[in-house]
Amino acid sequence: MASKYVALPKGVSEKDFDGAISKYREILGDSSVLISAEQLASYTKTMMPVSDTEHAPSAALLATTVEQIQKIVAVCNQYKIPIWTISTGKNLGYGSAAPGERGQVVLDLKRMNRILEVDKDLAFALVEPGVTYQQLYDYIKEHKLGLWLSMPAPSAIAGPTGNTLDRGVGYTPYGEHFLFACGMEVVLANGEVLRTGMGSMPNSNTWQVFKWGYGPYLDGIFTQSNYGIVTKFGFWLMPEPPAFKPFVIQYEHEEDIVEIVETIRPLRINGVIPNAVVIAHALYEAPVKAKRSDYVSGPGSIPDEAVYRIMKDHKLGIWNVYAALYGTQEQIDVNWKIVTQAFSQSGKAKILTEKEAADDPAFAYRAKLMCGEMTLTEFSLYNWRGGGGSMWFAPVSQARGSETLKQMALTKQILTKYGLDYSGEFIVGMRDMHHIVDVLYDKTDPEQVKAAYQCFDELLTEFSARGYGTYRVNTAFMDKVAETYGPVQRSVHKTLKKALDPNGILAPGKSGIR
Amino acid sequence: MKKSGQVASVFFFILTTMLMSNAWSAQEGTLSTGQVWKDGAEIYTKVCAYCHETNVGPQILNRQLPAVYVRAIVRNGNRAMPPFRASEIDDESLEKLTNFISHKTSQH
Repeated sequence: MASKYVALPKGVSEKDFDGAISKYREILGDSSVLISAEQLASYTKTMMPVSDTEHAPSAALLATTVEQIQKIVAVCNQYKIPIWTISTGKNLGYGSAAPGERGQVVLDLKRMNRILEVDKDLAFALVEPGVTYQQLYDYIKEHKLGLWLSMPAPSAIAGPTGNTLDRGVGYTPYGEHFLFACGMEVVLANGEVLRTGMGSMPNSNTWQVFKWGYGPYLDGIFTQSNYGIVTKFGFWLMPEPPAFKPFVIQYEHEEDIVEIVETIRPLRINGVIPNAVVIAHALYEAPVKAKRSDYVSGPGSIPDEAVYRIMKDHKLGIWNVYAALYGTQEQIDVNWKIVTQAFSQSGKAKILTEKEAADDPAFAYRAKLMCGEMTLTEFSLYNWRGGGGSMWFAPVSQARGSETLKQMALTKQILTKYGLDYSGEFIVGMRDMHHIVDVLYDKTDPEQVKAAYQCFDELLTEFSARGYGTYRVNTAFMDKVAETYGPVQRSVHKTLKKALDPNGILAPGKSGIR
Repeated sequence: MKKSGQVASVFFFILTTMLMSNAWSAQEGTLSTGQVWKDGAEIYTKVCAYCHETNVGPQILNRQLPAVYVRAIVRNGNRAMPPFRASEIDDESLEKLTNFISHKTSQH
């Protein structure tokens, strides 16, 4: 007899699942427990090169309160039901809203979307997981709070809780998001509610201003993990500066990445350039302005000759360095002099500001990202190949020119082998680079799906063999990446898991932890 | 009259300040509603337009797209377009959105 469910959690009988669903309905009401294929369709679509059926959920639960979540985990413990928690569900290219494993129940916290506090003076926010950047942006504007957000490229439809918990990055001086997290509320697998840091102390008013509390710092173990369900999230906001000066510096040759990084590093470490600078390859920016089909047809990766034509036709560098200065006009004037002097030394750099580039669509969306304005223009990337296939390959590099060149060359070599293009950028931290490559392919083409999967697998293998670790990965490759960090870390992760979630009900498989 | 009005204003200010300063603790026990969409135009502007008015996705206004088609694309996604769940855009709001897209002439 056919099951009434799209899928069942691993190791759970239909009878037991009936029992659990019945209890979830008692907790949430019938309309907040979704089990039909039609209702679950929006939890099933991913951009990964695997069948979406491998990530089909068995149900989705729409919780709105901490108390409901406490009751839900009690039911999960009773029936050994695994739940996969999402907030805005827009982790596109990393797994979207689908669970890590087929049959897991999605705990959807999008409707927990209250902005609990935004403090203008101390410049912090406390929000629930379902709050989007757009919602917070509107709130700040409406109340004239003079604060800026830092957000990833899917800005408006994503949110600070989910992005920070997955250790995502943005483009303002607050771009390394977890650095600016301050205090969480977490429902543990046993139903207890933990407030991290100063939040554990009754009557404390320093939860969102002092990160460390007393004793071991715990917030980190609730990021990229499955040790608890974060239900409130505190973080710091950037006061709006009196002046803001975005700029782009273009270079013509791929080898110039060495000079770019060597020039930027001291400016970044010394705080002359305060934001998360992006060094974007021409093929990362091209989709905003050009169509791939105008330059190349048929299978295979795009030849360098076509890339150079795109650069010329659309006024792009092979590398496009987007950065900004923030502060008073006087501060900006001083720092601008330092920046222009540093980049002018070799004579290779072309420096453009808003004066020259304001109407350029690539510059315009980058400028928005660097000052916390909503834009989804980066999604133009998805038109490059079409067909909705995308995986973010995200190895970490030292902020050292020779290293970035090696990583770029190796990535391009492997992508070319599989007929895929290098759509890459480096996001500059203080001493590191997040090397971000969108592995784009046509998910409607079975050959490209197969190539993309093999390519991604090889990228991970080859990079880890050279000691290059991946900082974040989609749900199809979590175990593989966890393996690259060695057995001791995996064992510690597992020990923590057993201690905090002995029945393994919370997102088993997240970051390879079970 | 004027004085009592001033007293009322002061009282209102104090009450509002108390409620604001205690907003976080007050919300602990009681569920207040989070964000709710006002109408189809708001959803279009704050979600759809970021792609469909910027050449990222196709134009969808002024095309008399059938409501049933719009609804299906929103809930299921299409190629790179992600689906939008009922937890993000509830069924009632989706009706308003499909109505807006199907009938509204672009203001842009």
